[in-house]
Amino acid sequence: MSPDVFLFWFLAILTVISGLMVVLMTNPVFSALSLAMTMVLIGALFVTLNATFLAGVQLIVYAGAVMVLFVMVLMLFDLKNEIYAFTRGKISGAFKVGSVGILAGLVIGSIGLTASTLLQSSTAPLVSMSGDTTKDLGKILFSQYLLGFEALGALLLIVAVGAVALARSKGGTHAK
Amino acid sequence: MGNDIFEITVNCVKLIIVFLLMVQAVPVLVWLERRGSAFIQNRFGPNRVGPLGLLQLLADAVKFLFKEEFIPEHGIRFLYYGAPVMALVPATLAFAAIPLGYPLQWDSYIFRIQGFEVNVGIVYVLGASSLAVYSILMAGFGSGNKYSLMGALRATAQVVSYELALGLAIVGAILLYGTFNLTEMVAAQQGSLQFAFMGHAVNLSWLPNWGIFYQPLGAVIFFAATFAESNRLPFDLAEGEAELVAGFHTEYGGFKMLLFFIGEYGHMMVGSALMIVFYLGGYGIPGVTIPELQQWAAGVTSSANAASALVSLITFVSFTVKLAVFMWIFIQVRWTLPRFRYDQLMELGWKTMLPWALGNTILTAIVLYIAKA
Amino acid sequence: MPLGGVLFITIFVIIFGCFLLFVASKLGKRSYDPVKQQTYECGIPAQEKKDTKISVKFYLTAILFIVFDIEIIFMYPWATTFRDFISSGQGLFVLISMMAFILVFIFGLFWEVKSKALDWE
Repeated sequence: MSPDVFLFWFLAILTVISGLMVVLMTNPVFSALSLAMTMVLIGALFVTLNATFLAGVQLIVYAGAVMVLFVMVLMLFDLKNEIYAFTRGKISGAFKVGSVGILAGLVIGSIGLTASTLLQSSTAPLVSMSGDTTKDLGKILFSQYLLGFEALGALLLIVAVGAVALARSKGGTHAK
Repeated sequence: MGNDIFEITVNCVKLIIVFLLMVQAVPVLVWLERRGSAFIQNRFGPNRVGPLGLLQLLADAVKFLFKEEFIPEHGIRFLYYGAPVMALVPATLAFAAIPLGYPLQWDSYIFRIQGFEVNVGIVYVLGASSLAVYSILMAGFGSGNKYSLMGALRATAQVVSYELALGLAIVGAILLYGTFNLTEMVAAQQGSLQFAFMGHAVNLSWLPNWGIFYQPLGAVIFFAATFAESNRLPFDLAEGEAELVAGFHTEYGGFKMLLFFIGEYGHMMVGSALMIVFYLGGYGIPGVTIPELQQWAAGVTSSANAASALVSLITFVSFTVKLAVFMWIFIQVRWTLPRFRYDQLMELGWKTMLPWALGNTILTAIVLYIAKA
Repeated sequence: MPLGGVLFITIFVIIFGCFLLFVASKLGKRSYDPVKQQTYECGIPAQEKKDTKISVKFYLTAILFIVFDIEIIFMYPWATTFRDFISSGQGLFVLISMMAFILVFIFGLFWEVKSKALDWE
């Protein structure tokens, strides 16, 4: 087993374990921290694909921003009652079993449907792994995907405005 | 990591040395801070244990080691103990990627004077140091104390706000160098100040070709943001004693506290090192280029290996001197400026530094375009 | 990117930290006292409920941070390639398209300031 392969399996197994922890932990703060760990490990998996810029973005945006928000919000609210309501009772139990069933069905179904494609080894030539993928990304962004890039700016503006509007709406804990 | 056992071993040892460099700098800096603050405030500071009080560091370490261990009753064990350990990781990971000296050529091997070379250096360093927030949040929540939690939330909101100004201030530097790679950035800043502006070649031979002369505003914003990122005065609202006891580490003592300290000083060192790499020529020496240095080293030493080692050593010393100056500025500022109020802090970050950093980016882009046209 | 090195130093640092904490906990003296175990409070008995009402501002700051952080991250590929675009003659086009993006950014920031979402009373 070459070091690269070993590294991939090591990271992949760790990623799956921390992904499972997200679901299996009863304390939501631990779940959120496991999710942050998963994000970091996915970033590391990007590196094995030579997508180094994407790995950095994964770290900065997902692990450094999105999950910080999650963890912070979970710490803000007292979730004891909610956890209790969610972990006890027959109806919620049925919901849990049902949702696990649906998820398992989805996973098995998607694997079954795409198995032929997944097992087929690609004949396309490998992209050169030594090149600077970041510069390529920048060049593609400003030629092929320029419209999407500008639209993204507008979308982020809408998100920011929406977040402020939600936070200031009446009926919240800090209604004016 | 390397192609054979020798190279891999050297690289691993190098990583550990970089980490230990960071760790051993902390007691020295703590001593410097105590003596320095005493100097600024016209008093003595620790001067009893050893010459100049230097052995105070050892005494402190032993005291930390023998402190009583306890966990607050509402604390969450895993988070409470995990937080100080986590405080070490982001600072180390970020510091390991910074080039500290000119690469060493030993026979056919090339050893870089840094933990590891990362192609997308800036993005990696920013990403790694953005994980520092988790340590703070874990400490705040794991202590089971409302002061800790409040302190952690304040610290998080602050670190996160200034990360924007920090990230945006760097865009100007990236525009200037056209790369993410820290080593290439340092290489671009060697020699004397010269650039082409609208077809005219400008050459100021009495100034080094440092980024700070192209990006003065970016440098100021970046440096101010590093103070907030490392939770230092005047931005240490997270531990405002008058309001929050001690912030997120209220319930910590002994060695756990020391680990937080290492993390904080580590972030100061990462911030200063980045400042040096972006704006102050990295490991270069003003007035002397690397080829000149190599030529001189080849003259005074007998073998090529020794000459290369000498060049690496000199550049490393140059970097260390610059780093020391910045660490002193950190200390000087701490004992000079008063603490901000929290609303002033957030206002400064969002309403002043962010727009100025944005203006710097726009200006840099336009000037770059005009200069080439 | 040297993934092996990153993993190595991460694991090393975690082991180093855990080892130090373990040694410190073994060397320090231990004496149990219920009062000592209590969380810190300014002289009065600590209340059972540790969480207090916390301003929604923290949440708002974090979510605005995500939005602006993503916008800044998108400037990075532009910043590395801008010089290449200039030398290939596409400089003006890329500059204008980026300025449009930054204009939206400025508008967002301006709106946040005007709506007092960034004010901490």
